[in-house]
Amino acid sequence: MSGKIISLTQAAALVQDGDLLALGGNALTRIPAAFVRELARQRRENLCLVKTAGAYDVDLLCAAGAVAQTQTGYVGFENLFGLAPSYRRGVEEGRVQAVEHACSTVIAGLRASAYGLPSQPVAGLEGSDVAAHTGFRQVKDPYTGEPVYMVPGIRPKFAVLHVAYADAEGNARIEGGAFEDVLMSRAAESVILTAEHIEETAFFVEKPDRTAIPAFMVQAVVHAPGGARPGGCHPFYDIDEDAVGAYLDSASSAESLQTHLDSWVERDHAGSAAASGSVA
Amino acid sequence: MSVALREGVSEEVRATADRMAVFLSRFIRDGELVFHGVASPLPMAAIVMARNTHAPNLTYLNIPGGVDPKPPYLPGSTVARQLMEGALSYFTLTEIFDLSARGKLDLAFLGGAQIDARGDMNLSFIGDPAAPKVRLPGGAGSAHILPTAGRTVLWRTAHDARSFPERCDFVTASGNVEAVVTPLCIFEKADGRLRVNSIHQGVTPDALRAATGFDLGDLEHTPATPEPTPAERTALEAADPEGIRLREFV
Repeated sequence: MSGKIISLTQAAALVQDGDLLALGGNALTRIPAAFVRELARQRRENLCLVKTAGAYDVDLLCAAGAVAQTQTGYVGFENLFGLAPSYRRGVEEGRVQAVEHACSTVIAGLRASAYGLPSQPVAGLEGSDVAAHTGFRQVKDPYTGEPVYMVPGIRPKFAVLHVAYADAEGNARIEGGAFEDVLMSRAAESVILTAEHIEETAFFVEKPDRTAIPAFMVQAVVHAPGGARPGGCHPFYDIDEDAVGAYLDSASSAESLQTHLDSWVERDHAGSAAASGSVA
Repeated sequence: MSVALREGVSEEVRATADRMAVFLSRFIRDGELVFHGVASPLPMAAIVMARNTHAPNLTYLNIPGGVDPKPPYLPGSTVARQLMEGALSYFTLTEIFDLSARGKLDLAFLGGAQIDARGDMNLSFIGDPAAPKVRLPGGAGSAHILPTAGRTVLWRTAHDARSFPERCDFVTASGNVEAVVTPLCIFEKADGRLRVNSIHQGVTPDALRAATGFDLGDLEHTPATPEPTPAERTALEAADPEGIRLREFV
């Protein structure tokens, strides 16, 4: 049963300062929250984050001083809590470089890597300042002569994905919206999974078409029940707005952020502790 | 939560939220493929409402990927898992962008922190983009959707001169904008410029001018926006009994 299962501590330690990480999920849904809290506890620095729409995950890592650059289409707490305060402050104070993307250009950059190509043509962007600001170049299609924007490939070191079910080898099933997780797994050099439930391999044999992430792409699996909290994870739990609000109250200072991180330690490591018996 | 929401807002704000949801829904034509994105409670309510009124054959697309979901209730996050519930098929955001690029997405609703006289919108930076005074969330899919969707309708819940300038500080997205719905009026884009199509009941032309940062021209013959009908109010309440649409105002 042990296979690729390691502890949350060990999995976060696979990430080096300066790595480019693709974070799975979207806004406050199925985010790798336990994993990013552990990155903050381990005081990782100069991370680059890629995601179409981030919220708690991107903001918390900005609050922890762990982020040098973001490549995102949106970072915010929607109408629940509005702007992402630590992300905003990091960018406004020049500590975080926000590479301005549309969600579609994040996808295009990931597609380039997934397709084994250096760059990817993308539709849209006409009339927008985003292309000029970010430096997306326009070329002429060699067949029709039509102008088309090209997005450079985005190749994350790791895609960090929180899934409903995984086995010890890294076969994974997502329930509900998969967002860009599957694409991220193909674009990244490697995949780290955190999973609500660790299942026997027979569970996946039953419906192989539901296995969104095949084991051969995966480097590590962490058993992390509740690992998307305070975000939601279908079909197990919904967004915990009170807990998101508590985070936002705590993100204003290093001391209160540490208190927030401490308050989650036991829950974040519960799955690792339970698994360590079988691993040893 | 819904009780607290309702108690926390004034009758005036409730009326504005109801108007804006109803006015957004009127832009949906029966049979259309309609999309809303992240942070979009008003369009979510408008789409679900329109399905039960004048557009029963619309197809509802969203970021979680549920096609025509029947959410048990409208979630506060408009990318939450409820938008997969009751759906018959699954169509991802990536596929929605591709659909729009192929010219097959009929209508999308998009918000803007600034919306300017040309109907361009900004969700990126206030001030100098190189050293921004305010870093906004980013435009999500808007730079892709505005130029590629058949029609887009923008909305903003605050109508003031800073939000509606002659020119945005940064153009996040530009394109096929049909209309802009605000708490004070409905703009339509014609010949590359926003013009006031109708002014909401109780709003004077002078008040609208004072709240807008670009020239509105002659408003003497501008009609009043028809108020939500009893049928529309009933349908909206049925679509969003929890009052999630109010979250854009609190």
